[in-house]
Amino acid sequence: MNIALLKLQLLYSGIRAGQNLPNPLTNPFGLVHLVLPEGVTVSVHRNENGTDSPFTLRKDGAQFFLDIAGSESVPVQWTPPLHSYQQKTSSGVLVSDILTVHGDFIAVHPTHACRFGQSGLSCRYCGSSRDVSQHPPFTPRDLVEAIQIVEQEKRCDLVSLSSGRVDTPDGGVERLEKWVTEIRKHLNVLIALDLVPPETNDWIDKTYAMGVDALYYDSDFFNPNDEPRKDFEKHKVRQLEALAYARRIFPTGAVLSHLVIGLEPLEETRASIDLLIDRGVVPVLAYFPPYDGSNLRSRWTATPEQAREIYAHLYERLVRTRINPHWVQQYDVVLTALEGRFFSNESPRYHLKLKNFYETSYGRAVRFSLARLRRHLRVVPA
Amino acid sequence: MQYKIDTRPLPIVILARWWRFPVFVLLGYTLYFCFGQQPPEGLSLEGYRALIVFLTCLVLWVTHLLPLPVTGLFALVAPPLLGVMKAREAFSFFGSEPVFFIMGVFILATALLKSGLSTRMALHLLKSGSKSPKRLILQVMLTAALLSFVMSEHAVAAMMFPLIVIITKKLRLSPQQSSYGRTLFVAMAWGCVIGGIATMLGGARVPLAVGLLQEAGNGTIAFSEWTLSMMPAVIVLFGFCYFLLTRFYPIDVDTVSEADAAIDEQIRDCGRLLMEEKFLALLIVAAIACWIFLGAQLGMATIAILAVVLLFMFRVVEWKALQELMEWGVILMYGGAIAISSILNSTGAGLWVTQKYIIPHLSSPWMVIIVLSLLTILLTEAMSNSAVVAIFVPIGMSIAKQFGMDPRVVVFAVASASGLAYALPMSTPSVAIAYSSGYLKLKEVVVPAAIMAAVSWLALMLSARFWWPLLGIHVGG
Repeated sequence: MNIALLKLQLLYSGIRAGQNLPNPLTNPFGLVHLVLPEGVTVSVHRNENGTDSPFTLRKDGAQFFLDIAGSESVPVQWTPPLHSYQQKTSSGVLVSDILTVHGDFIAVHPTHACRFGQSGLSCRYCGSSRDVSQHPPFTPRDLVEAIQIVEQEKRCDLVSLSSGRVDTPDGGVERLEKWVTEIRKHLNVLIALDLVPPETNDWIDKTYAMGVDALYYDSDFFNPNDEPRKDFEKHKVRQLEALAYARRIFPTGAVLSHLVIGLEPLEETRASIDLLIDRGVVPVLAYFPPYDGSNLRSRWTATPEQAREIYAHLYERLVRTRINPHWVQQYDVVLTALEGRFFSNESPRYHLKLKNFYETSYGRAVRFSLARLRRHLRVVPA
Repeated sequence: MQYKIDTRPLPIVILARWWRFPVFVLLGYTLYFCFGQQPPEGLSLEGYRALIVFLTCLVLWVTHLLPLPVTGLFALVAPPLLGVMKAREAFSFFGSEPVFFIMGVFILATALLKSGLSTRMALHLLKSGSKSPKRLILQVMLTAALLSFVMSEHAVAAMMFPLIVIITKKLRLSPQQSSYGRTLFVAMAWGCVIGGIATMLGGARVPLAVGLLQEAGNGTIAFSEWTLSMMPAVIVLFGFCYFLLTRFYPIDVDTVSEADAAIDEQIRDCGRLLMEEKFLALLIVAAIACWIFLGAQLGMATIAILAVVLLFMFRVVEWKALQELMEWGVILMYGGAIAISSILNSTGAGLWVTQKYIIPHLSSPWMVIIVLSLLTILLTEAMSNSAVVAIFVPIGMSIAKQFGMDPRVVVFAVASASGLAYALPMSTPSVAIAYSSGYLKLKEVVVPAAIMAAVSWLALMLSARFWWPLLGIHVGG
């Protein structure tokens, strides 16, 4: 059994609930947290139709098993949903209304529609899958409290915030500044921002200087309701410029770009991977198959078997470069670049050891200290 | 807040940002090592340790490993730490008269700047300069020099800089290209430099040197005495500077009449002369008169502080507004410099160094003055002029004693030469301000600056030979 392939299949098909399962099984967003063999984590949706998924989760005594139709059972670990989700901040906002925890990082729910969410589909990443207007408003102070509540229960290394879709010249930097400032003031975590490429590079300088450790400029602005963008080419050129400039400012591996697999021909995705890696950017391949029953499911072209080639290609390209792939460590809603090693015969070299080291408390301290030190050295008041 | 991201390779960034730390460790180790050694023959233990403190301060002043004022504070705390003297004695140097004179002068200069009176004076002095390009250069130099008679030269440069920028913009002079634009900024900087040595108010280095003289018990120098002794050199240098600037840099404009309109506009913006400005002008004139005629009886610091008290009694400026502009750090630096110099003197360390290492190479009092002034003029190009004074005056006074010279001659030679820096941005703030305009390139300034430095040294030596004796200041003792 190829664990990475199993993860992709789970993301694609979801699971059915078998016998003796605890209640609640899922987190508030309907996802079941599992740890597969080899320590691979996955958050998988519960397939409500209960027919198409070949995977059934069951509990036998203290052990959980994943029964695979027509194949053997795989022992897995089930991670109970965080109690933190049910707690409230001092102003009364539920933690689950503020953030979602994915492995070792926290995705903060945008206070505005995320780009994927605008399509009306569930966003498994940021948790704003439902109507954003129904989300209660929360303040930076609430966010800090929510993270502190989660940290009491679970280690979290990275907090990720998204600007949502913006048309301002700063690409959303100003919108997120107060959030970053508040997190920096109170917490010792790494911060990643998911932004739109700004019009000028000084916004990228500001992003790093204000305390951001990693940066996403997404390469795929998927929105099925959009007309083809008139300025697509111009936008793409600027995006590549911004990514290349950000690569000079941010640490190696800390400039990332989401690529959604399956909504474009796989060869195009492969070409995009090469384009990004050639510029020192780490592609994060988001394998977010639309749920069964959605009208996009029929357009989805990347079955897990097809996607494995792309992941293998990403992994092999990354280990041959000096790009650090560790900014995406334990990411349970996508297959990480390093998890692509299960599709390749190529050795992960020192990357796996480094990943394991970063997961220790010493490694975490080293990682955080290096990030702080780098900023201290690089940022000079003009 | 604006940021710049340093994208150089990380090892280079680390080296650039942290090179100080290994140097500090090395310096600390050297200090510790020297501290454990026996003093050389002929030098007391206190003298030996005082010398260690002095050499450490010397390294810190030259390398700028620490800000100058912080080194000044180090000079105060190091002697008690090393057992050279009690803390009470060391800190008492900070209360010396020159420190308070410097403080008073700085407060008055800051009040001039804050009230806008200095800008008004500068504009009126510049106003008649727009008849021809050469005349404007002369007016800029003259304005800078005259204002530097009554306030610190760097304050004058900072105040005149925006005015010159306005003029260059009105005349459409391009940075890096316009020879005339370059000339105007050089004229401003060198006018400040030359005017700055004319009185004790042009910078704090002269009061510092006089303070060192007083603390060593070698008498003092009166305000009028200093001004009279420097005036011939100042006039010669002013004339030569104008000659050099107008010959060396081609004048690439035909008319400067547009500058006239710009200056008029600025004068209009100043509005009418306020009561506070009138009072301030009167107060400055009165203070100068008192320094000249009553300085010896009342003490220079007493007059300066009294003027400051009157300034606030009549609410000419607000303390809060003033304290933001004041350069308090300079006062700290001078307190430390006076302390270390006095300690060198009282422990006999200064005398020992000069007897052992300097006197054997000098054959006459004239040689002493020639070498000291030459070294000062050379070093002041690369170092803070106050640091040069703090280093050379104590040593010079010890040498003077050995040759039976009047120690005041050393103060005249070193303090005046220390102000005559023309070429490098780090030499003096007025030159640095001129460089910040973007009109100057070092290679275009270095040749005339070298000529000016040579002529300045010559003018000082000629003054020492022919003019100072007429005032009762004899190099030969």
